[in-house]
Amino acid sequence: MPSWQDFQPFIVAGLALGGVYALSGVGMVVLYRTTGVLNLAFGAVGAMGAFIAWSLINSLHWPSGIAYLVCVAFGAVVTLLYGVLFGPPLAGRDPLVKAAATLGLALILLGTMSWVWSDKARSMTLPTTDHGFEVGTVLINWTQIIALALGVLVTATTAVFLRRTGLGTAMRALANDREITAALGVPVRRVEAATWLVSGALAGVAGLLLSNLVGLDAATLTFLVISSLAATLIARLRSLVMTFVAGIVIGLVNAMVTPFFSISQYRDMAPFVLAIVALLFLSRHEQISFARRSE
Amino acid sequence: MRRTGLIIALTLALAASMTLAACGGGGGTSDSTNKAAAPAAAPKCGAGTGQKATGTPIKLGGIATKQPGTDFTDIPNAAKAFFDCVNDNGGIKGHPIQYVIETEQTDPGQIASLAKKLVETEKVVGIVGNTSLIECAVNHTYYEKQGFYIVDSGIAPECYSTPNSAAVNMGPRYSVDGATQYLLRQGVKKVVLDQSNVPGTGYIEGGFLLIAKSAGVPTASLKDNVPIQDANSIALKLVQAAGSNGGVVLNFTPPEALKILQAAQRQGLQNRVKWACSTPCNTDFLSDALGSQWNDKLGVNAELNLTSASGPDSQLYRAVLKRYAPKIPLGSFSQMGFVEASILTKALLSVSGDYTAKNVNEAIKNVKNFQTDILCKPWYYGSAPLHIPNNTDRTVTPKDGKMVEKEGCFPISDVDPAIAQVRQIEAKG
Amino acid sequence: MRRLAITLALLLVVLLVLPPLLSSYWIDVLTAVAIYSVVALGLGLLMGRVGLVSLGQIAVLALGAWIAAKLDFATSIPFPVVLLLTGLITMVLGTLVGLPALRLSGLYLALITLMLAGAITVVLTATQFPNGGPGFLSHTESSFGSAAIRRPGIATSDPAYFRYTVIVAALMFALAWWHVRSRPGRAWAAIRQSEPAALAAGVNLTFYKLWAWALASFMTGVAGGLLASHVGKLYTIQFPTSDSITLLAVVLMGGIYSPWGAVVAGALMKLLPALLDSWGLPADLLIILFGVGVLQVLLTAPAGIAGQLPQDLARLGRAISGRVRRPPPTPQPPSPPARKGETVR
Repeated sequence: MPSWQDFQPFIVAGLALGGVYALSGVGMVVLYRTTGVLNLAFGAVGAMGAFIAWSLINSLHWPSGIAYLVCVAFGAVVTLLYGVLFGPPLAGRDPLVKAAATLGLALILLGTMSWVWSDKARSMTLPTTDHGFEVGTVLINWTQIIALALGVLVTATTAVFLRRTGLGTAMRALANDREITAALGVPVRRVEAATWLVSGALAGVAGLLLSNLVGLDAATLTFLVISSLAATLIARLRSLVMTFVAGIVIGLVNAMVTPFFSISQYRDMAPFVLAIVALLFLSRHEQISFARRSE
Repeated sequence: MRRTGLIIALTLALAASMTLAACGGGGGTSDSTNKAAAPAAAPKCGAGTGQKATGTPIKLGGIATKQPGTDFTDIPNAAKAFFDCVNDNGGIKGHPIQYVIETEQTDPGQIASLAKKLVETEKVVGIVGNTSLIECAVNHTYYEKQGFYIVDSGIAPECYSTPNSAAVNMGPRYSVDGATQYLLRQGVKKVVLDQSNVPGTGYIEGGFLLIAKSAGVPTASLKDNVPIQDANSIALKLVQAAGSNGGVVLNFTPPEALKILQAAQRQGLQNRVKWACSTPCNTDFLSDALGSQWNDKLGVNAELNLTSASGPDSQLYRAVLKRYAPKIPLGSFSQMGFVEASILTKALLSVSGDYTAKNVNEAIKNVKNFQTDILCKPWYYGSAPLHIPNNTDRTVTPKDGKMVEKEGCFPISDVDPAIAQVRQIEAKG
Repeated sequence: MRRLAITLALLLVVLLVLPPLLSSYWIDVLTAVAIYSVVALGLGLLMGRVGLVSLGQIAVLALGAWIAAKLDFATSIPFPVVLLLTGLITMVLGTLVGLPALRLSGLYLALITLMLAGAITVVLTATQFPNGGPGFLSHTESSFGSAAIRRPGIATSDPAYFRYTVIVAALMFALAWWHVRSRPGRAWAAIRQSEPAALAAGVNLTFYKLWAWALASFMTGVAGGLLASHVGKLYTIQFPTSDSITLLAVVLMGGIYSPWGAVVAGALMKLLPALLDSWGLPADLLIILFGVGVLQVLLTAPAGIAGQLPQDLARLGRAISGRVRRPPPTPQPPSPPARKGETVR
């Protein structure tokens, strides 16, 4: 049994990863609530952004700050393009169809990444990763701090934004009923486009952070979306705060199981098991369904 | 409607891939070798006549893993580069070598079918350059039935425990042995092995446990799922498991090992324990990515000589890659392909009759005392229930972005029973 | 009736004419196609007939292969019985898992099955793939453990095993067809049209949903049994969670309404990679192609029409069938799915 002292660094690592899961989860929930699309390409978009940033820095020798911006911009633009092109034709369809369509985008991006960047292993280090400070015996780097802080910040800002601003109100209205909202004169397409853009930018940010916290690897980053997905499922794709909490818990459980050697190998199950248990527990008295417009 | 959808999708895909090709293209080839200006004298391989071979071709084949995250095709591609050089130098008594490379995605069904394709459809007369996570395990009985003697780069246990496979490397188990021996010489009080959770972990840890036990040092053997998603936690776990004055042996592919080592560096753990690594870490890309903070702090077991070594074979190796495969980076992978192709060339030149599968495989089996400065000891095949011809190697360490030698050739401990068995076979001649 | 005759004739061609024509490489590839067609059939049945989407079918396949391997090693019962038992045990396990999961519907069901598949993959990786060692979970490196999983006595050679696999697959297709044509098929159709209406008409929703789930698990389990003996060795890396997503893609592309869609899906998953390889094209292209295929398939269905997913999907299955079922010409003799597809419609 590891001592409390031994545990502390794992808590730091877990909080940092949890922060990114939460950040990604919030990006997915906002998009889902506004457009009804669960974006399964969230991880792939961020991963591709990170790879492009790597190439800009290492092949074209761009300043790294600009490359990071390009990464975020790539996430925003690709997600927006997808939303503008494929959002409207799929708008009236079942949520499952919309989600499956984003799988198509994820596969296209994944295939392209492993085609272009599979020749050798790569790594990218943010300047914040190299600097840190010690708390007791634990070394904490700034990327970890940024990850957690961004997780909190994005959750809080989004929640306030949805409540207090005109666009936010429009988004919430859209979440309830697209057609009635449109009839009320809300520019539906423009509101949706804004959501796609913001969600995509979050995907870019998450990709950049994860490439540092986890590693620059196409398949890993693409399928890491499953951990964030688990967080959004625990929150029933509704509550932002719940998504945040779930993301942090998943990150923490994953990290804190690591020093127990006997079960350490099973720690990757954490998001799956938590999501399964939560879903089954929440649905014990009812049928959860995505039947359109019945919420 | 449907037409538009298709066009939109295609355009998106196309635009995406084009942007990327533009950004990503230049990434792979920044090695010092490729910058050379004047073309040096054409390298001499095989017969060394300088004449292009024009006879009926001799067909060889190889199977390598190529999938996202795991790409071993540098090995057969380097072998192909050497064969191209042989073909430009008179070939095998005038016959050029035609080399067929098949790639697989660790699907046993596919791997089994590819071996049949090479032997029965392509009708290759020899198989060389195989490098795969599971190929030896899947195909060794087939090769035994067909009478094929394979010269490969081994990973699976069956590459080192069956009569029809001889590798130029020593594989994960014996390389982990060597890394463990290095740590014990450094005087560590406990050794921890962490390896990727892929088929064969129980086999790989076997030698590690025996060697540490015979030295009276406590052990911990851990496994982590790849691809690694929480490198920070893993690095912490390993350091805590090793304790003070402990040592850690990593057995991962380069990108995964890099994740752990970088995570250790981020958390200031590179001095807390002694770090060691099995062969895969021996690439300049890893030492480059690690930077000077790891100078002399990581012992990497190296089954092959440094790529910058000065022996004649090392010089030929660099010249062949530069001329025939400038895109393949210098590293242990391309060295293995080079050595395997050299062995095959020697075997083919010794064939007296027709180049049939039977004659060629007999010649491969009869290779002995194959000398090269890329290996510590001469390489051999021969009839034996198992082959580990490479059982003496070095330790290297990163220094300012390059790998340099830390320990010269040393024998892998015969505490590991298979090594003891091989030494007996060698003693008998 | 004519259709049945054509199907049988094609089956005979596949069984008798193809094996002597093809090299053992393509025989192996087509065996894999037949096995994965059965997996695709299971998922197609769930999606097209009942409107349930599972993203965990590859995990079920792994479960089936695992059970079959254990039965093959531990007992000497005849191979057909092993297949049957494997199917039944997988069915029971699948149903046990499905029982709570079926309370959910639509997207939630798809995602919870994805989570379950992820969890199963982690267990399989942690234990290595269990082989001939003792106990249900154990993996041994010993020679017994690494011995090949046996094949049926009458089908030890590759062409014979190919024929065996095709016959078992054909039986599975017949089983599915029989279900669709009889009482459960009508109940499923009612559920797919409208759950409340089906309920009002006295259809036991849970029972028939579970039935479909059990049937799909049974067929996937049998496919796992065939897969275990195909190569004789099993590895965890054969069953990545991401393959469940690829499977969804190919099943959508193949078309979920017609059983031929399952054959096309199997070919997309196992024959197309071999073809790309023999043309010297990179395997990554395949993933991109599947992505484009999914988007294309989902977009071709008329947008904005109210109705449930299965109806949509069924319609688009029909809409794309003509397009997808014309695979490009191949250097080898044309694949059986291509011929079949063209003849039927």
